Amino acid sequence: MVLVESNSVTIVRVRGPLELRCLLDSTDDLVLMAISRAFQSLRSQVKSQSCVFAVCGSPVIIWPNTGVYEEITPDTPCEDVFQWIQTDEQEPGGRRSAKKKSKRAISVNVLNLSLMMEVTRPGPLSAPVLSKTVQKSNFLSATLPIDCVVRTSCNNTIREACEQLLEALTQQLFEMEKVTLQHMKGTTLLVPEPVHFLLPEPKGLVTVVFPAGVPDRELETQRRELHQQFDLPDDRPYFRRANAFHFPDEPYKDGYLRNPHAVLTHPNLDNGKVYLVQGIYSYHHYMQDRADDNGWGCAYRSLQTICSWYQQQGYVERSVPSHKEIQQALVDVGDKQASFVGSRQWIGSIEVQAVLNHLLGITSKIMFVSQGLELASKGRELANHFLTEGTPVMIGGGVLAHTILGVAWSETTGQIRYLILDPHYTGAEDLQTITDKGWCGWKGPDFWDQTAYYNLCLPQRPRFI
Amino acid sequence: MGRSYIVEDDVEEYLCKLCSTQSGTVTGLFIGQCSIQRDFIVMAARTPQKEESADDGQLVDKEWLSEHARQVSRMLPGGLSVLGVFIISDSDAKDSLTTLRQLVFAVENLISSEQLWSPADDDVTDRVTLHVNPKTRKTVCRTFDVTDPKTVAKPADWKYQSRVCSNWATVLCWLDVDLLVPIPEKITSTKTVEKCLMEGLKSWTHQIESGVFLIDGKKLPEDSELKGGQKKSTRQTYTAQLLVSPDMQKSSDVVQRCGGSLSVRGVIHSRAFLHSNKPKAKLAERLLKMDVVSTVATRVQMLLEETLTSEESSRDVKQTEQLCLPRRVFCPVKVTGPLCVCDYQFSDEGLTEITDRLKEMLDTDAAEDDLDTTQEMSAELIQSEATEEATAETVEASEPRRDIYIGVAVGIAVALLATAASALYFSDA
Repeated sequence: MVLVESNSVTIVRVRGPLELRCLLDSTDDLVLMAISRAFQSLRSQVKSQSCVFAVCGSPVIIWPNTGVYEEITPDTPCEDVFQWIQTDEQEPGGRRSAKKKSKRAISVNVLNLSLMMEVTRPGPLSAPVLSKTVQKSNFLSATLPIDCVVRTSCNNTIREACEQLLEALTQQLFEMEKVTLQHMKGTTLLVPEPVHFLLPEPKGLVTVVFPAGVPDRELETQRRELHQQFDLPDDRPYFRRANAFHFPDEPYKDGYLRNPHAVLTHPNLDNGKVYLVQGIYSYHHYMQDRADDNGWGCAYRSLQTICSWYQQQGYVERSVPSHKEIQQALVDVGDKQASFVGSRQWIGSIEVQAVLNHLLGITSKIMFVSQGLELASKGRELANHFLTEGTPVMIGGGVLAHTILGVAWSETTGQIRYLILDPHYTGAEDLQTITDKGWCGWKGPDFWDQTAYYNLCLPQRPRFI
Repeated sequence: MGRSYIVEDDVEEYLCKLCSTQSGTVTGLFIGQCSIQRDFIVMAARTPQKEESADDGQLVDKEWLSEHARQVSRMLPGGLSVLGVFIISDSDAKDSLTTLRQLVFAVENLISSEQLWSPADDDVTDRVTLHVNPKTRKTVCRTFDVTDPKTVAKPADWKYQSRVCSNWATVLCWLDVDLLVPIPEKITSTKTVEKCLMEGLKSWTHQIESGVFLIDGKKLPEDSELKGGQKKSTRQTYTAQLLVSPDMQKSSDVVQRCGGSLSVRGVIHSRAFLHSNKPKAKLAERLLKMDVVSTVATRVQMLLEETLTSEESSRDVKQTEQLCLPRRVFCPVKVTGPLCVCDYQFSDEGLTEITDRLKEMLDTDAAEDDLDTTQEMSAELIQSEATEEATAETVEASEPRRDIYIGVAVGIAVALLATAASALYFSDA
């Protein structure tokens, strides 16, 4: 059994391959017609009584078009369906709870369904006919990776979710047909591929179909249309593949924690407001990637966190640079001698700025603070940075580097708290420890060495989609 | 301790009858179901006599017998299979062992060459042989492991029992077949067409094998027993459902040049029998899926063996040829009990041809009234919209014929040789 917290959001997702197969006639018009007909036949398949949704890992099976629900009733709330799902570590139907999740984790639950087709029929019916068509032409055979989602609130029933999914399925097949025909060159055909994006509320989760294998840089026209369609600002990417929604039930394969700050409670300041990093970053810290950088690599790690932000927001495609790549970049720009590569030398905010510029093409502003106590008066500037740029900030001072992820600041009282991500952490990727022990946490102005000088690197957000 | 065989009383009667009425060496097949613990034999069928065999039946024709086994196994629904061979001969039982050993291997090789499904780990691989002395009526039962080329004869327990045929559960379904495969650009022979159809069937088989199996709409845990079902007097009948999902293919060329396409579309009736009071869901699933695959494959093979024309049209004109697959007809093994054998009836065949074939292949005397023809309707040719007008005159052509050519520009009616089905069915092996 999977524990579901009350008042949570449930995403119901149906996935499954559908086979698109047809004989393409020789002339162009007929080819398009043949493909449209094949899509039409898939659409009637998903509307037929053969269409089945099977709840993954459970005996629950739903025939959405005939209203047959096995094991549950159509009026079952979506979140109650989770109790039918068997996890590995327990007996079917047992009451033992699975490993308890951190209480503070944001609870978005994903109910996975697989799209299947029933091939059995109530008989008797006519025996099969074999037909052979002889005609020199082309044969199209593609597997469409159907993937539809709906978001439901706590009291939505499974029937409502299924009805919405059926609509989404038909819609997706129309979209796929459109994309297939659009990107057809001669007899070369690209498989349409659905991608989900989480847009700012109230738009929420939307699904877009892209031709598989076409790089993002060739899809700008499509993205521009989408920005217009969804009334989104034209200064930042929303529909690059890197922006794709990450389903909470699918662990990140690289092992880094994402946005550990998301589980923290905001500090309560008089008339204070919270200004945070926008989007997703991964937490880079000491001892990761089998690299022992304890004692010298903190600024490198902070830089990696910044790079991960640019990558996951879709601004750059390059992966997060290693210590060596960072050092090489500094040699390449003439900032360091060749012997610097492979060394254990520290870097500071200026070097971070140079590397961001060289490897990512990102410009950064540098803020100088001659004494740590001055940082208390930088509230407005930092708040403004998170409002307009929304990127993680690297701060270096004395021998320590940190990442600032946000500020809570009161315009009236001037009170300020800093949301700090500490790269000096050497432990495992354990969210509980990291947040409990303050490796990611809110700090007061006394966190800074009041007499030391600090340099802040404030990376700027490029303006494109 | 070897395997034990629980054998229907009727089989003993049948063997006795052969002993007393036949002279010379007689061979035949055993039909039944095997399970981990023991095997059940429900029928025996003698090898049909070869017309031209002038020698007085002293020699055993290995190929003839295995061809018989191949034909018979096509006539067995899920859960029944050819389990072994018997020989009735004056010679010493020991001397017959080599022959029997060769026979089970020949039978197994031919039958398994036609099977599309992948073997399971717990498949029983022992096959039974029985030597009967016609004078003394003494029987010697031995088994061979057909997966082991170095196998030696192992003794087995052969026990007659009454009502072996009565206690069986039936699992059935009607299944929609919808297959579409490309034909290569250069068709070299009928074999090419056959090959691509078989390739298509193979991936379809994989889909069926990995499909989700439901009984009364429910997915049962593998080890659970079938419960409920409709009880018709003492019979237990379960209706199964199958859910499939295509394999995710990762191919870059989604469009390929081809010389046309082949499709198989229609509904088949599939059935499997399980000997037990408490049949396991897992076994029911496997046996029914095997029957689904083999009934489709068998019919396609039968059709290919008989009719598919190899002549290739060089024109660019679209030409469609439609052939009806035969429908499945069932015949009860005994008056009581659910067990059936089956046969396939082409649209130009009458029921006498079926009863004749049942006599020839299984040595059973069935009346036309015994046959159950209600599970499948004869296939009907579907006319595609593009060909409707052009074909009016071609449809009404000569009578016993299994295929119709429909051309867009020219409608060619080619009356195929209306071959006597029965003769072809067996003798040209």
